[in-house]
Amino acid sequence: MTAAAGAYLLAMVRNKIALFFTFVFPLLFIVLFGLMYGGPGQMDRLAAGVLDWGVGNAAMFGVAYSIVQWRRDDLLRLVRTTPTPVTSLLSGWYVVTLGLAIAQAALLLGVSLLPAFGLTVAAPGIVLLPVVLMVGSLTFFAIGVVVGRLAPNPDAVAAIANCVMIPMAFLSGSFYPLELAPHWMDVVSRFLPLRYLNDAMREVLSGGYHLVVPLSALFGFAVLFGVIGLRTFKWADNS
Amino acid sequence: MIIQIEDLRKRYGARQAVDGVTLSVNEGEFFGLLGPNGAGKSTLVEIVEGLRRADSGTVRVFGESPWPRDLDLLARLGIQTQSSSFFVRHTAQEHLRRVAALHRVSRDRADEVLRLVGLEDSANTRVEKLSGGQRQRLAIASALTHDPELLFLDEPTAALDPLARKQLWGLLKSLPGTIVYTTHHLDEAEALCDRVAIIRSGRIVAVDTPAGLCERTGAASLEDAYLRLVAA
Repeated sequence: MTAAAGAYLLAMVRNKIALFFTFVFPLLFIVLFGLMYGGPGQMDRLAAGVLDWGVGNAAMFGVAYSIVQWRRDDLLRLVRTTPTPVTSLLSGWYVVTLGLAIAQAALLLGVSLLPAFGLTVAAPGIVLLPVVLMVGSLTFFAIGVVVGRLAPNPDAVAAIANCVMIPMAFLSGSFYPLELAPHWMDVVSRFLPLRYLNDAMREVLSGGYHLVVPLSALFGFAVLFGVIGLRTFKWADNS
Repeated sequence: MIIQIEDLRKRYGARQAVDGVTLSVNEGEFFGLLGPNGAGKSTLVEIVEGLRRADSGTVRVFGESPWPRDLDLLARLGIQTQSSSFFVRHTAQEHLRRVAALHRVSRDRADEVLRLVGLEDSANTRVEKLSGGQRQRLAIASALTHDPELLFLDEPTAALDPLARKQLWGLLKSLPGTIVYTTHHLDEAEALCDRVAIIRSGRIVAVDTPAGLCERTGAASLEDAYLRLVAA
């Protein structure tokens, strides 16, 4: 597990493009939205939206891209010849994904807490945030495993993941409050995992405790996609 | 007998990739598998390695069936991956240590193998920057960390210039254990192999020592003997 996790982490931290989309790009969103619409009472929603999108995006892209790349380079075939099972490979990757999500949260919320943006987080929120990140990254990690199975090459990962993430971000209220959206959007969003990550994140950042429904829904999506991903897992391109 | 194959068959759609192969490989042998592209070499080797399942026939490796995936058997096999199968953005040393860790072998052993294949000076070079010969050495090293008894090498000298190829021969000759090796280079097979099998359209055309094949066909070199057998 540590070898697979280490290889994943090292490939990630040495990849400037991945680092940009994981950290810098969401940070630009926070700063831009924060300056435009931020301030006390607004910043919790804004920060929650950017953070859940950033965490979901990074988790899904990271694992999907790695699966495709490892499969194309026959690294998965190499792993298959060793005593390392696929569950240990993926759990190692998940630990790294969670670590990156925590780092994203620390960076994005750290900036949002600056007086210019005016976020305040109550003590229970700080305790519950890691739980939300744990379940949320697991869900999007599991979706990434399925995207990695479907994508024939690295370019297709970007295409599929963007097609999944961008409409979902708008429909789930990450960038636009669902309270202001038409009713049908609210209905559609209830079938999307990002909606529940957004709900959970907003709840935590605004000092609430109503996490049972969103976290259960996220966990349900994680189980669904996790089972599909593991049942259909493919070790090599041409087998 | 390390490998015993009997009447092995594998079909892909309309194409019979392996068509009734019977073959055995002895302990300590350097065994070459020669044949044109698409002759079924890779499919045959992948079935023996346990990466693919045969349609019919039997394969025994150390007396065991390689399918389904058998971890105890895999621990005794070294399988050379393609020369692009490296952990991205890793150095040669970092890559080999990862491979060793996946096999649950120590870092020291990884570093020892890096020296064995003559890559100690490139230990800190990123895998993306290695030359063709260095990549082949690292790919071979990746199959050696867990000290396998049976080694599969898949065209280890493909795409190398003549000098790099000759330099690699020394390493190949020094490798311990039993080796099954596929190649397109007949001079190489003649220099390295104890026995060679020639495969064409999924069938074994001849199995013998390189000298025996020359004698049998009245050819001056293995290359001539090969051309006569494959064209026949």
